[in-house]
Amino acid sequence: MMPKNNGLSKEITYVDAIPEKASFLVPEEGSLKLLLASFGDLKDFEIDVSVNKNGMFQGAFADFSSFSGKVILNVRLLGEGASCDWHLASVGSKGEKKSFFTSVTHEAPHTTALMSNYGIARGKSFLAFSGTSEILNGSRKSTTRQNAKIIVFDKTADGLASPILKISENDVDASHSAVVGRLNEEHLFYLESRGIGEEEAKRLIALGYLKPIERYFSDQSLVARIDSAIEGGI
Amino acid sequence: MSIRIGALRGGNMATLTIKNLHVSVKGNEILRGVDLEVKEGETLALLGPNGHGKSTLLAAIMGNPSYTVTEGSVVFDGQDIQALTPDKRSLAGLFLAMQYPSEIPGLNSADFLKAAINAHRQKPLSLFEFYNSLQTAYSDMGIPFEMSKRNLNEGFSGGEKKRNEMLQMKLLAPRIALLDEIDSGLDVDAMGIVAAAIRQEQKRGGGFLVVSHYARLYDMINPTKTAILINGRVVVKGGPEIIKRIDKEGYEWIKTEFGIPVEKETDAPMNSVSIGACATKVRLDDAKK
Repeated sequence: MMPKNNGLSKEITYVDAIPEKASFLVPEEGSLKLLLASFGDLKDFEIDVSVNKNGMFQGAFADFSSFSGKVILNVRLLGEGASCDWHLASVGSKGEKKSFFTSVTHEAPHTTALMSNYGIARGKSFLAFSGTSEILNGSRKSTTRQNAKIIVFDKTADGLASPILKISENDVDASHSAVVGRLNEEHLFYLESRGIGEEEAKRLIALGYLKPIERYFSDQSLVARIDSAIEGGI
Repeated sequence: MSIRIGALRGGNMATLTIKNLHVSVKGNEILRGVDLEVKEGETLALLGPNGHGKSTLLAAIMGNPSYTVTEGSVVFDGQDIQALTPDKRSLAGLFLAMQYPSEIPGLNSADFLKAAINAHRQKPLSLFEFYNSLQTAYSDMGIPFEMSKRNLNEGFSGGEKKRNEMLQMKLLAPRIALLDEIDSGLDVDAMGIVAAAIRQEQKRGGGFLVVSHYARLYDMINPTKTAILINGRVVVKGGPEIIKRIDKEGYEWIKTEFGIPVEKETDAPMNSVSIGACATKVRLDDAKK
């Protein structure tokens, strides 16, 4: 763990040694950046985050682990103006069975959440993204978005994306998108029509799914490690 | 500095020859025996009503796997290219500027352009050469260089996508470029920039097969010959004067003079998309095939 504290702002990084159970409280006007990266073995883990008024939670998980199991993230936006930005990039390359459960609950007005889960399933791996966004009654003017995309590279791999929206307030903006499938044939054709070979075209498209995770990480040695894992994973 | 990939190809003037081409999409025959020829240095204007096969022809020439050639031949520079994958057709010197360019999520434009340019070269460009050529091309096309940092076509306006297509054409300098309604969605200024890019490639000796509905673009690039595609066949060939006539009279005269009725626009077959509960699974079954 590499904590960085700056008044109300905190940045915590876990590389591989992610605790099996952890809870975080983001104070009023404060922020938490939680950066997770895994390149080897991993156990199931569950993280709870509560965000107070005008607090900001930003989380990212670069998952290149070889584990089969369950990851749970629960975010509660407790105070007005609280926000959450979560980004997952996961690669299943052999026979891993990985399930990610991410939930965010809007419990105050003017709260915003963006949950983005991206995955590449290769070999005999299986990726499941289950996301729940709930806006409670009274949380008016809140915005919640969920994106879940899994590219299934091989016939023996599989994926499931299951976003759920529970809305108990009228004055909100909520949306979700979920795609599980092979590489888009038109995208492949577009790149190939520019002289790029099929394998390189697939690599570039897959990079496009995974590389955006890097912008969350400021430690360049860790970014280089993630970059190398992305290249290795696809 | 500009990198002229096409200029590195020496030798004879290449010809694209299409003979009796039949093309189907999802079992529907769209092209029913097309004969056409365009050489390097020529500009062929291809016109026709909507839904009669112009885009299908261009996509089939470039090797889009969604389009099945059931009969006929496509020969480029003396080689039947039907067995070639799209990347090999590009390396041979063909280029397709698409009517609806794909948006590729997360793929940085500069990374894509570098991969495309280097695919056409034996030795990869140095970073210095690459950025110089990129800056020149962006400037020529009137596109802010900052857009090279954005994801490929993602969030681009219709006009930006079209100019981005022409930017790629300039960088790859093909022997024959296929332009599919490159003028749609362009304002007057952008149309001028696109036309200037085409004229520059014409001066270099590049050939063009240009699909457009409007005389305005053709006026700016001076096609050397014209063909009209109706009901999946080329029914009229001639000089640029045909463009003026279509601009004034439409396609009705073809029916009266040649006795060819213009069929209604072909309906593209629907994609088979299955959407599960709450759109959780899209085409997963297809993915497993």
